[in-house]
Amino acid sequence: MLQGRGVRAGYEATDVLHGIDFALHAGEVLGVVGPNGCGKSTLLRAVTGLLPLRGGEVILGEERLENLPAMERARRCAVQPQVEAPLFDYTVGQFVLLGRHPHRAPLALATGEDRAAVSRALSETGMNGLRERSIRALSTGEWQRALMARALAQETPVLLLDEPAAHLDPGHRFAVHVLLRRLAREQQRAVLCVSHDLNLAAEFCDRLMILASGRVRALGRPEEVLTAENLQAVFQCDALRVAPNPFTGRPGTVFVP
Amino acid sequence: MNTALRLGILGGAALTLLVGAVCIGPTQLLDVPRLVDLLRSGPVTPELQRAQLVLWELRLPRVLLAAAAGVNLALGGLLLQAIFRNPLAEPYLLGLSSGGALGAVLALAAGATAVTWPALTGGLLIAGIVLLLCRRRIAADLPSLLLVGVALGALAQAFTTVIILRFDPGALRSILFWLMGSFAGRGWSEVWLLVPAALLGIVIVCVLHRPLDLVALGGESAHHLGVRVGLLQTGGIALAAVLAALTVAACGTIGFVGLMAPHLARRLTGAPHGMSIPATALVGAMLTVGADLAARTVLAGTELPVGAVTGVFGCLFFLALLAKRP
Repeated sequence: MLQGRGVRAGYEATDVLHGIDFALHAGEVLGVVGPNGCGKSTLLRAVTGLLPLRGGEVILGEERLENLPAMERARRCAVQPQVEAPLFDYTVGQFVLLGRHPHRAPLALATGEDRAAVSRALSETGMNGLRERSIRALSTGEWQRALMARALAQETPVLLLDEPAAHLDPGHRFAVHVLLRRLAREQQRAVLCVSHDLNLAAEFCDRLMILASGRVRALGRPEEVLTAENLQAVFQCDALRVAPNPFTGRPGTVFVP
Repeated sequence: MNTALRLGILGGAALTLLVGAVCIGPTQLLDVPRLVDLLRSGPVTPELQRAQLVLWELRLPRVLLAAAAGVNLALGGLLLQAIFRNPLAEPYLLGLSSGGALGAVLALAAGATAVTWPALTGGLLIAGIVLLLCRRRIAADLPSLLLVGVALGALAQAFTTVIILRFDPGALRSILFWLMGSFAGRGWSEVWLLVPAALLGIVIVCVLHRPLDLVALGGESAHHLGVRVGLLQTGGIALAAVLAALTVAACGTIGFVGLMAPHLARRLTGAPHGMSIPATALVGAMLTVGADLAARTVLAGTELPVGAVTGVFGCLFFLALLAKRP
């Protein structure tokens, strides 16, 4: 669904990504992990056309990204951005309805389909009770779930999320990952999720991509990728050890100070 | 109360104010039923002729002009506040009005009588420089872009002052009065300039209502939802500049209406632009028509510049807004 071939991108004089190759398939959750500043968010910006490519190409569906009109791109690919504080007073319902923008004509009123998509997105993110609340009155975690609901309301085959669980409590963090896997399994969506939570990523992602200094260090199933050697090379933290989850047998990490 | 009802009440209030400003005032032609009677049947008396003249040639164009100016400035403020994601942005603060004024004064100094095109050029020039600096990454982020506008506006005002001082004292007073904003002595030609601009402005901004919502909530997200953010920013700033400069050409610099109207409107309708655009236009029209009424009547026998009236209220409003910000 989404492919990057030799993606290079950066800001001003600095190149941040030095040739990234990956493919995101329908029905899978691909986790992107790596240390701060390794290029995870830059990768999201580059593959969504927010940052011009300095080399390589991005294919969304069957077409090169730059050949897609903006609205068509937004019907194929939704992005949940990192949290930034809202300035204006929209209700959660109004905010999530904006996710339907790519599907609506300029002056069209919301259709039944739009409203149904909003309701689904709100209940999937557990935001139903907060529909009438102002987005400025939400806690950071609630605001993050509202951002996710808007991306879900966009109903795109490709879903990219930048640390969707960063500000959530353990219960909601778990719920978000369950939801992502369900979206991939049941609706055949292609989900890419940038994450700092190695354990949840290993538990719920079908494949993991480890980025380091703008290059792909490893890409494969979690048990192939989360090795002591990779972790040490990328995070340079002796206390971080590989330890499978005793209940599920999936790979995981623990700190041994 | 639902938003449509609120808009209806606001529209009714605006209409009352317009009709009131046309028909009510210090002259003696207020007996509207009698006037209508006279118009229908009676012979053409000097009294009737005078009433007609006052109504059609002075009051009506003046009120329509004030209303259209209010709409233009309010729409400019709404566009800039969404695009800059800054509730303090407006055409006057961003220097667009000052650019228009500089263009107009330059033209007057050169002996021209029509100031529309020079004012447009001046306003668009400021908008162009702001956008150019944005592209050149001198002011890549939105807050510094706004400050660039403030600085350019101050520069334009300085030039304007220097040029004005070179006028002969007779012309000086009328030019100063015009610069401070006034609807006095304007006629239908200015109305035909500003009213279509205001209507066209409302239509364009309404078509853009959801992209404006999205941009106001974050540029990156707007991009991901299919908005061509750069194009919207360029077009929006240019449109605000055109509306502000036309207003300056017709009735001088009137500050703070563009700041106040969108805020008051959002209080009535909530933030989504679908509803706040018509409300902003109505509130803008009411502010300028009201300010004009105040300018004509606060000091008996003296007319104040409208810009001075909006300046006083705007300053208080601005400070209140700053105090309320987190």
